Amino acid sequence: MVGALAQGAAAAALKEPLGLSPAPSLGFSCSGLSGHRLSRAAHNGFRVHCAMAVVPKKKDSLISVAEEHWLRAIETPLEGVSFSIDDFSQALSNYDVNFEVGQMVKGTVFMSTNNGALVDIGAKAPAFLPISEASILRIKSVEEVGLIPGLEDDFYVLRSDDDNGRMVLSLKKTQLDLAWERCKQLQAEDAIVKTLVLAANRGGLVVDVEGLRGFVPFSHISSKTSYDDLIGKIIPVKFMEVDEEQARLVLSNKKALVENQISLGIGSVVEGVVQTVKPYGAFIDMKGVYGLLHISQISHERITSVENVFQPGDKLKVMILSQDKERGRISLSTKKLEPTPGDMLRNPSLVYEMAEEMAQTFRQRIAQAEAAARAEELRLNQEGEGLQSDSSGLGSLGLALEELDISSVPSAVEA
Amino acid sequence: MQQKNRDINLEEMMAAGIHFGHQTQKWNPKMSSYIFTERRGVHILDLTQTARILAETCDLLFNAAAKGKEFLIVGTKHQVADLVASAALRAQCHYVNEKWLGGMLTNWATTETRLRRFQYLQLEESRGGFDRLPKQEAANLKGQLFRLKKCLGGIQYMSDLPDIAIITDQYEQSIAIKECSILGIPTICVVDTDCDPDLVDIPIPGNDDARSSIRWILDKSILAICEGRSTLEVSEVF
Repeated sequence: MVGALAQGAAAAALKEPLGLSPAPSLGFSCSGLSGHRLSRAAHNGFRVHCAMAVVPKKKDSLISVAEEHWLRAIETPLEGVSFSIDDFSQALSNYDVNFEVGQMVKGTVFMSTNNGALVDIGAKAPAFLPISEASILRIKSVEEVGLIPGLEDDFYVLRSDDDNGRMVLSLKKTQLDLAWERCKQLQAEDAIVKTLVLAANRGGLVVDVEGLRGFVPFSHISSKTSYDDLIGKIIPVKFMEVDEEQARLVLSNKKALVENQISLGIGSVVEGVVQTVKPYGAFIDMKGVYGLLHISQISHERITSVENVFQPGDKLKVMILSQDKERGRISLSTKKLEPTPGDMLRNPSLVYEMAEEMAQTFRQRIAQAEAAARAEELRLNQEGEGLQSDSSGLGSLGLALEELDISSVPSAVEA
Repeated sequence: MQQKNRDINLEEMMAAGIHFGHQTQKWNPKMSSYIFTERRGVHILDLTQTARILAETCDLLFNAAAKGKEFLIVGTKHQVADLVASAALRAQCHYVNEKWLGGMLTNWATTETRLRRFQYLQLEESRGGFDRLPKQEAANLKGQLFRLKKCLGGIQYMSDLPDIAIITDQYEQSIAIKECSILGIPTICVVDTDCDPDLVDIPIPGNDDARSSIRWILDKSILAICEGRSTLEVSEVF
């Protein structure tokens, strides 16, 4: 066997016959090196100087058979091989794969562990998808998001090969992009979404919308219960600010609820319950919608203290003065409902009974006022035009009448 | 001379990613004769040599199986553990796919003791022996059975040392390789560019990380074993 080797210089070191007496094994990692391995080492071009322990005779035959096979393979390298070196190097360019950070790569999940999932992407080693990158929601195991063996999906490359050739993938990035897209769409549609309240902090509530964390300032929450009680509940909100770059997502609960009251027009009478009493008025809760009954709007007579008139929990009827959809505010009034001025103080129940009638009257008056205002406007416009056509005469006076734009005067009652 | 066409296809091998090696700075210079080139800072193994060596290996396995020899497949890495088990079951070989206990082969006497205990517990459980015991003891024994099954499940039918060992990862299974060479059991191992080919009897240069690569190599090996077994005469088995 030794003679079959072609490496002349190295083979010269192997002068001793192979049937050596057992020598103490040296401190190598493999103590059972046989004489056959000496030949292997020589083949690889390494000079061999030491004697090795001999393998027990029992298995000697099988090992030598194995050696024979290996040597045969080495000495007749291309025999029986169905392709050539050139085929191989050509095919190499076909199977050239390169994954950059930031790329999307297709892969198949084949195993899920405690820390994540292993994904086969056709590279040297399987790629790893950590549990923290599997979803924007908080999950305990990757199975919860459907990452079971056999799933084929597109993944985002987070980190390219580390020392072991392992790449780190992420699903979170694509999900985040999608979530922000949806939020922008919903904002454009001015839609109402139901969100889960996660926590309360200094300034408002933290809610979960589309997997993203959003913020509802206190000023935009209309709710009876205390803020801590709301944690874990679902509230409807509308989008106020959706800014992906700054990761700002601000929502409003008030606006969403005001939306419900779109049917309630100006001048309609609603029943409500006094929620809180403040020095400047009272907050009335009308079926979940909040409105402010200002102190000046309670009665024609001057009221010094709101507490004397209303107590939290009082039932009353109010008329809607105006709605500010932008800021989700509703202004209420009971003044207009008083048949005779001062009735709110003296005889509230009378006010409530007459509420409908008064509201009707109020609405009529509003309509008349509106019509009058329109007519006035029209007349002014016509006069203005008339004046303008004469500008040649008056122009010499230096009056710039055409700049006077009367149509921009706002109407008396703004809806 | 090769006995049979093993149908070793270049496209299949490349699709399985067998040619990928580790990064160039992590190589073992002893692998230089098996390395074809370097691409993008990563070594590429020469698949012609892989194909040739694998063909010879399959011949060896075929002949050994035809003579009724026993095989042991070792692979404990997380991502190939189930591959090893299924391949060994198909070829009716022994396998180790959980932790390789130290001295599993060199301390065969002790391993045999454990295997006997394993068989006893299995028998007891199937006969309902656990039900006659108090809860605590039954739970203890069930735990023992579970642990034994986990570690020794693959070698429970092994009566003596195996004749040939097929190993999937050199670093991971370094203890197994050491034990086999001490005992004179020929080892066939998949060696990557960072491995030492001199430690094993037949190194098959190939990617040891990718699942598809190990699966392909194991498939070819157990095909040879199955074919060899099928030529066995019934009398030779007993």
